[in-house]
Amino acid sequence: MTAPFANISKQLMFPQTLAASLESIINQVLSLGSANSSLEKLGQKTLTLTLAELGFPLSFTVTSDIGVNNKALLVSSLTERADCTINTSLTTLRELQAKQQLTELIKQDKLDVTGDIKVAQKFANMAQNLDIDWQSELANHIGDVATHKLMQLGKTIAAKFNFAATQIQADASEYVVHEQRLVITKNQIEHFNQAVNDVSKDVMALEARIARLNKSSNN
Amino acid sequence: MSATDKNQLPDTAHTSADSTTHFGYQTIDKEDKVSMVAGVFHSVAKQYDIMNDLMSFGIHRLWKRFTIDASGVRPGNNVLDLAGGTGDLTAKFSQLVGKQGKVVLADINSSMLNVGRDKLRDKGLVQNIDYVQANAQYLPFEDNSFDIVTIAFGLRNVTDKDMALRSIYRVLKPGGRLLVLEFSKPEHELINKAYDFYSFNILPKIGELVAKDGDSYQYLAESIRMHPDQETLKTMLDNAGFEQTSFKNLTGGVVALHKGYKF
Repeated sequence: MTAPFANISKQLMFPQTLAASLESIINQVLSLGSANSSLEKLGQKTLTLTLAELGFPLSFTVTSDIGVNNKALLVSSLTERADCTINTSLTTLRELQAKQQLTELIKQDKLDVTGDIKVAQKFANMAQNLDIDWQSELANHIGDVATHKLMQLGKTIAAKFNFAATQIQADASEYVVHEQRLVITKNQIEHFNQAVNDVSKDVMALEARIARLNKSSNN
Repeated sequence: MSATDKNQLPDTAHTSADSTTHFGYQTIDKEDKVSMVAGVFHSVAKQYDIMNDLMSFGIHRLWKRFTIDASGVRPGNNVLDLAGGTGDLTAKFSQLVGKQGKVVLADINSSMLNVGRDKLRDKGLVQNIDYVQANAQYLPFEDNSFDIVTIAFGLRNVTDKDMALRSIYRVLKPGGRLLVLEFSKPEHELINKAYDFYSFNILPKIGELVAKDGDSYQYLAESIRMHPDQETLKTMLDNAGFEQTSFKNLTGGVVALHKGYKF
């Protein structure tokens, strides 16, 4: 993060605003799912995540051992209490969703983990085990019929968006490849590569023949 | 006298050698300040939280989050939330220190303490919080008792700030840190003027409408102007014995967070 932006971000307390918003959303989501037992296991554990794009840490602390109904997840910028710290980027986080990627990403230096990795795994398990019936939750607020209609509308809109995205992609490809000829097709590349290979073989054969001729003329 | 003129008044909280101090823009006997400030907070205690949200547009929650982030609090820590009022900081600290730790919510004002205690109990926060009615100048705790002491929007109401800082220094453990979150002096003149207009023209009216007490919010505006600016308060922390003192301006200097360590 550049210095002026970092200064503005600090003045506007962007880390605190983001932490407050995340905390509110995460606890709402946790209250819908069956995460209580996972929270119990993580009592007072803190996972600190530093994303390259943000430039400040976000710490997730489970507070499951105080008082009644206080199993919650606090989000802060506290760094001094981390049980596990992960330095990475948003792109790598997306890649992490594919299982078995962890070791590979660490090898590629895209992910830096310090501290107790079991804490990170427990947080990841808690997120993966959240089983929330979004339709049922929505129905509690707006009713069954409205939820059904809304879901249908959502599916229709999603299908239309997917169709539009596919069309735009196809049209853009047609325009760039065939009309403007700015890029070449995969077949053209393969044909070119094949031609280069053929020339290479011919040159090697010619080189061998010249070598043989030289040898015989010397003899 | 305009609001800006009033800013030119000496900004020390008490007139050093004599027995008088400031209550807003009034000069009063030191002995009277405690009861006069108490009157203000008895009056506003029940509407304190809603007024904070209205007056600051909710930003006070972010200022307090910033304080928590700067505290470095760990599980098992002992924390003193001085002038803790309705317990916003105590609630977070209680969750962060866990059952091995302890948070003391201290306030000189019984009404504020009662409101804070009710609020925290309603949230289910009961295990690791003690409530103490205490004057910051004469803290009733043993030496070297706390890992962290915070005083948020409270120091400006203390009669003898230097004495309070020395008292805090005494109860902090070696290695402990003090965090003072307090209104301060805006960095830019434009913000200063807008802030003055808001404080002296709008704030008392909100107080009148919501808390039915415009005078208390007039005092709030005046007491903020009489509070030492960033550098002066930093020097006061140095003088009380704190080391590695520093401050960070928030929202253009409307509020500043001062930090100091005891080694």
